[in-house]
Amino acid sequence: MRIACPFCGARDSGEFTYLGDASPKRPDAPIDGGTAVEDQFYDYVYLRDNVAGLTREYWYHGGGCRSWLIAERSTTTHEFKSVTAAPGAGAAKAKQAGER
Amino acid sequence: MKYSIFSLARAALSSHKNWGRAWRDPAPKSHYDVVIIGGGGHGLATAYFLAKEYGIRNIAVLEKGWIGSGNAGRNTTIIRSNYMLPGNTSFYELSMKLWERMEQDLNYNTMVSQRGIINLYHSDAQRDAFARRGNAMRINGIDAELLDATEIRKILPFLNYDNARFPIQGGLMQRRGGTARHDAVVWGYARAADEFGVDIIQNCEVTGFQRTNGRITGVETSRGIIGAGKVGMAVAGSSSRVAAMAGLRLPIESHVLQAFVSEAIKPLIPGVVTFGAGHFYVSQSDKGGLVFGGDLDGYNSYAQRGNMPVMEDVCEGGMAIMPMIGRVRLLRQWGGIMDMSMDGTPIIDKTPVDGLYLNAGWCYGGFKATPASGLVFAHLLARDEPHEEGRRFRLDRFRRGAMIDEKGQGAQPNLH
Amino acid sequence: MPDFVWSSQSPLKKALVPGRHGAGKAAPGVSLSHVSDIALVQVMTRRGRNADVAKAAKKLFGAEPPAALKISSGKVVTLVWSGPDQFLAFSELPQTAPSVEQQEQAFAGSASLSNQSDGRCQIRISGPNARDALAKMTSLDLHDTVFPVGSAATTSIDHTAVNFWREADDASGNPVYVALVFTSFSDTLWHLFVESSLEYGVEVAAIGAGH
Ligand SMILES: Cc1cc2nc3c(=O)[nH]c(=O)nc-3n(C[C@H](O)[C@H](O)[C@H](O)COP(=O)(O)OP(=O)(O)OC[C@H]3O[C@@H](n4cnc5c(N)ncnc54)[C@H](O)[C@@H]3O)c2cc1C
Ligand SMILES: [Zn+2]
Repeated sequence: MRIACPFCGARDSGEFTYLGDASPKRPDAPIDGGTAVEDQFYDYVYLRDNVAGLTREYWYHGGGCRSWLIAERSTTTHEFKSVTAAPGAGAAKAKQAGER
Repeated sequence: MKYSIFSLARAALSSHKNWGRAWRDPAPKSHYDVVIIGGGGHGLATAYFLAKEYGIRNIAVLEKGWIGSGNAGRNTTIIRSNYMLPGNTSFYELSMKLWERMEQDLNYNTMVSQRGIINLYHSDAQRDAFARRGNAMRINGIDAELLDATEIRKILPFLNYDNARFPIQGGLMQRRGGTARHDAVVWGYARAADEFGVDIIQNCEVTGFQRTNGRITGVETSRGIIGAGKVGMAVAGSSSRVAAMAGLRLPIESHVLQAFVSEAIKPLIPGVVTFGAGHFYVSQSDKGGLVFGGDLDGYNSYAQRGNMPVMEDVCEGGMAIMPMIGRVRLLRQWGGIMDMSMDGTPIIDKTPVDGLYLNAGWCYGGFKATPASGLVFAHLLARDEPHEEGRRFRLDRFRRGAMIDEKGQGAQPNLH
Repeated sequence: MPDFVWSSQSPLKKALVPGRHGAGKAAPGVSLSHVSDIALVQVMTRRGRNADVAKAAKKLFGAEPPAALKISSGKVVTLVWSGPDQFLAFSELPQTAPSVEQQEQAFAGSASLSNQSDGRCQIRISGPNARDALAKMTSLDLHDTVFPVGSAATTSIDHTAVNFWREADDASGNPVYVALVFTSFSDTLWHLFVESSLEYGVEVAAIGAGH
């Protein structure tokens, strides 16, 4: 598996660390929100779609430019469809997609 | 036919050409009391115990490929019961006891070999952790011995004791641990279950569920619709895929684990040796090959194959602790898909869907669990209540905060 | 408390053995050298301030910040791309390079700086077989068409993070590569470099007073 870092180019996958599915969004909920909020957090922390096919996931180029990346990759073939910078990577743009 | 010295002698007279088949190849019936999805060790053991211990005989095991084509035939065959936390300790010890009588129970040579397993330690902190683990085992009646470097040297003189980073200080030994022949376990359970009338149906992939008023009434398969009173899932790495057909999301991720076998060499390694600090473990098969492995590749996968960085890492770990294996050639390598749960511990429970039962989350350690998993899951399917040894393996434990996390890693499955 | 002055020394003090090692008597296939005294500052652009950083760099170093995967050469300082919107200001002539204070003033408000002069170890690999030796340890493609003079990469060699770039070819037309390694890992990587080069014959040299 080689991963095309948008900053460094194609590199051996050994330079990268995997975090996981990029889809779950941390619930934006008050701390004492009761069981409804607990359910949301249970879902966020423990449940996974665990897709067989194309997924969006976080990779970290720790053995290279140290950028967080979002890759679209097939879990059945290991083929990468795209690799882009995660929100916040790089300083060229004042704000990036997905940032608040 | 009962296998014995006499059946062997009889077969020898015809140069072993007339052995009958060990289990039937039936066409699926239209309805079964229990349908088990997955013809790995766990699915077949479940069918066997359902028939033998709980008197249910109208059972089918549906396997999408051939039995044992999943993790049951891909693992590195280690059996042990060196767990520490309540829930795991007694469950795996039950499994060990079942291993110890498996060959008699099944009338099948599963080559259970209690050659001992040694987990090496390299620092005072690691020794303390192993002492704690060993003590937890012993107060639960499980054998464990903390050995120092001198004692380890007597058993494993060929290790690198003076590695600057990982000097060997000693190891935690479980003498009753060891290995078993993984394919034989699959075949032994298949044959024994078949004798009770269980239908083992291969090349039969489950593609959906049939439901009436919410309750599961059957499965859709590549060989047609099959009605079922109850359905048990034992599909290991495919758990999320099959659960999704019933609209369920699980606390599970699928990850690839690789295994390696070297060319055959003379008997060298007496038992199982794990070098956890260096992501490497090894044993030697009866044919002489060194069977070894290490960590997960680390990314979600259903591809049953891994990548080069982990091969390099595993071989580096091997070279660090056993430098002479650098002279041995690697013969084979493969990968299997692990059902990694969020706390590294299995799940045996009913699901929120009426009539659907789950056996999953075995991570990289479910081979040793095969007999106990079969018994506990059979109990649940037959009685609709958890077996004494499965009480803690509930699906809702994550919601309740009752995780069983041996490694203390938290909900990051690729680190368990 | 008495004043204490840390005396800096090369992290390769023990590992580096000057002279000729390995195969053959003819010209060495690989030359390995190490400069112990360097000036090195990591410059990280703040969000949206790229234009200011470019201007300041041009004025101070006589060079624009490097494009991605490139170096740019100023009067005494080489600017080495080290990731998105960041570069290293590197010099083997620490006395003549702009001081850290001067750099802090020049980039005030537009970039964050970190002095790494004692944090990294410089190793230069050159010669006709330099690429063969490197091929054993890096997964980078160092072919001329992919990694020509002026190329830079942040990568891992033997699980160790390095900044790596290619300088102008030497007098005989052989490639010259430079690696910056964390000082505490440099001893290990140095041994790896030497051992990977032995079969080609390797000439080892130390440059600088700190050694
Ligand atoms: C490389 C490797 C090394 C390992 N080493 C060890 C070890 O040393 N010790 C240990 O204890 N454990 C080990 N394990 C883990 C162990 O192998 C597994 O936890 C265990 O085998 C899982 O249970 P099983 O045998 O039932 O799984 P499997 O054999 O994977 O059975 C699941 C079956 O379900 C079938 N299936 C999937 N989807 C469908 C469908 N839709 N319809 C029909 N059938 C379906 C699959 O084809 C498969 O045959 C290892 C695993 C691997 C991969
Ligand atoms: Zn990168």
